[in-house]
Amino acid sequence: MKRAWALFVGLLRELSDQNAYERHLASHGVTHSGAEWRRFSEERLRAKYARAKCC
Amino acid sequence: MRIFHRLIWFAVAAVAALCLGYIATERGEPINSLWLVVAAVCTYLIGYRFYAGFIAAKVMMLDDLRATPAERLRNGHDFEPTNKWILFGHHFAAIAGPGPLVGPTLAAQFGYLPGTLWIIIGCVLGGAVQDFIILFCSMRRDGKSLGAMAREEIGKIGGFTALLTVLLIMIILLAVVALVVVNALKDSPWGTFTIAASMPVALFMGLYLRYWRPGKVLECSAIGFVLVLASIFGGQWVSQSAQLAPIFTLSGIALTAAVILYGFFASALPVWLLLAPRDYLSTFVKLGVVMMLAAGILAVRPQLELPAFTRFVDGNGPIFAGKIFPFCFITIACGAISGFHALISSGTTPKMIAREKNAWPVGYGSMLLESFVAIMALIAACSLQPGVFFAVNSPAGIVGSTADAAVATVSSWGYPVTAAQMSSLAADVGEKSLFYRTGGAPSLALGMAHIFAGTGGGRAILGFWYHFAIMFEALFILTVIDAGTRVGRFMLQDLLGQVYKPLGRTSWMPGVIGTSAVIVASWGYFLYQGVIDPLGGINSLWPLFGIANQLLAAIALCVATTILIKMHGAKYMWITCTPLAWLLIVTFTAGYQKLFSDLPRIGFLAQAEMMQNALDAGKIAAANIASQQTQIFNAKLDAVVTGVFMILVATVLADSIRVWIGILSGTREKRVSETPFVMTRLQAEEL
Repeated sequence: MKRAWALFVGLLRELSDQNAYERHLASHGVTHSGAEWRRFSEERLRAKYARAKCC
Repeated sequence: MRIFHRLIWFAVAAVAALCLGYIATERGEPINSLWLVVAAVCTYLIGYRFYAGFIAAKVMMLDDLRATPAERLRNGHDFEPTNKWILFGHHFAAIAGPGPLVGPTLAAQFGYLPGTLWIIIGCVLGGAVQDFIILFCSMRRDGKSLGAMAREEIGKIGGFTALLTVLLIMIILLAVVALVVVNALKDSPWGTFTIAASMPVALFMGLYLRYWRPGKVLECSAIGFVLVLASIFGGQWVSQSAQLAPIFTLSGIALTAAVILYGFFASALPVWLLLAPRDYLSTFVKLGVVMMLAAGILAVRPQLELPAFTRFVDGNGPIFAGKIFPFCFITIACGAISGFHALISSGTTPKMIAREKNAWPVGYGSMLLESFVAIMALIAACSLQPGVFFAVNSPAGIVGSTADAAVATVSSWGYPVTAAQMSSLAADVGEKSLFYRTGGAPSLALGMAHIFAGTGGGRAILGFWYHFAIMFEALFILTVIDAGTRVGRFMLQDLLGQVYKPLGRTSWMPGVIGTSAVIVASWGYFLYQGVIDPLGGINSLWPLFGIANQLLAAIALCVATTILIKMHGAKYMWITCTPLAWLLIVTFTAGYQKLFSDLPRIGFLAQAEMMQNALDAGKIAAANIASQQTQIFNAKLDAVVTGVFMILVATVLADSIRVWIGILSGTREKRVSETPFVMTRLQAEEL
């Protein structure tokens, strides 16, 4: 049950890009800030919406 | 233990066969939807365990010791090894769109049986196989896109044609899904207010996420969801207000203008402001509603009121014209096999697979779940009374332009319905009328509302659930529209940038505005054409979309076949050639009929000729001449688009066959362009 909940939360965090943001912070060795989120978000969203959404 | 396992799988296969046999042979009495659910689930289990297992082991030879691109090219952004169940959910959320909901609802016109069988069989042998193999191919090629693989494996012609086909398909897709929204919201102040309110909610979320609570996407989406729910209640209040209701009571044309303007601004505005927050919200709502619908169906276990076959198997259906073969298959489209999935399977997902064998649940398994969503949509639609289903979905041009005429026509087909019944149902869901709502969304929303209300609350909350379902459908259709318009804009900018460099720059505002306008005008024209079509628009646009989508799947299967031939010669090419051959037969037959059928409701050219003859004979009133000329042009334009699709795919097919013959006869080098084997170093705890 605990594992299923962890997976569920993991999925929500992946879908919301929050996991990706944590990876971004770790790989760049920086801490969270509004400016850092905006930098990450712009790069992430540019790539994300260069691809078609499925029908 | 081995015998025990075999006995279990034998039992699953026997239950699948029993349920499929029952739903295929039972006639007369309504059957319970659980038969469909059990038949589908057991068949999926068999397909997943044995067919996909065979492909994984013998054809792909998936190897967990081989490092995936997610590990080798790990960069913390695109390439990241991800837990297989999280990636399963991520991939499913990416492939699940409005198609598997709307297509099966429209195909219910033939009865529940043809759609059910195709959704299950088509997925297990075709759709899931396509997704799985393309995912595998992309994974072994560092996450390359379908277009790049087509160029590399088949040739430059194949690659360019695939790109052009995607752009054209997107224009038709955006028009047809926009038409579904317009038909659901016209003359509905409740629905229109709810959807209109979702725009400021998305803007608020965008600002919240960027400036007030950066990075708190889940928190922001939860607030957005509460606000959208509140807007459903607000919509009810608006619809009952003498002052506000007229403001939100919009005609089809007015809604068309609104959706076109929305598409333009959503494409040109910064992505963080409107598109991204709406997308986060719609993804969570989509997953939540899918789970709710599954739970609702299991709890309520509705009877299927539509028969196994309706009288419209003869090709004279009111929603769209044409016989089961080929039109049932191209109408269901994404619920069984979708070309668009090949773009997702060669997009983000292959870059996140941690171990090769994870491609099995992610690629094959996600498509099974998508197919199950299609089965649920079919159940929701078929649980409506047939008379109600056809009264909601039939256009005025077929059933007559008054309520009395419509119920008389529908009843004369053998599906009794009364004006009082429709009026009472409309009042229950807070609408003035439910007639002429062609497009599938309202009838699906009605079916879903009945199922949700059946779990508790009954008729008293039918209106809330109906508008909740409409909100859910419209929310992610609008996300498809704004994201699709933006992608179309990028493609066009890429293309035009070759001619005049500034046009290719996404930061040059005149270029952004101009290309956004071109893309919006392209799909907007087809949308407008659908709205003014007296036959409801779905009759011409949905088959066009279905043909286009299935032809894209044919391109993906051409790429997959080429790669299988390079890997194993002719030994396993039947795995992709069987669904490919079927798709080509279906789509080329449908395309041919849409072009050359003598029946004006099917053939675009016959339709144009009939209207031209009426014009020439002076049978058209002076006030309607311009509109008649526009419709003649539209029918010819649809014919041209159909022809172009067929030529593009025939080009890719011919190019592929040339390559296949070359490899099999030994005149062409059989070079598999996979990345070389590298031993994985990924530890279990890293997942």
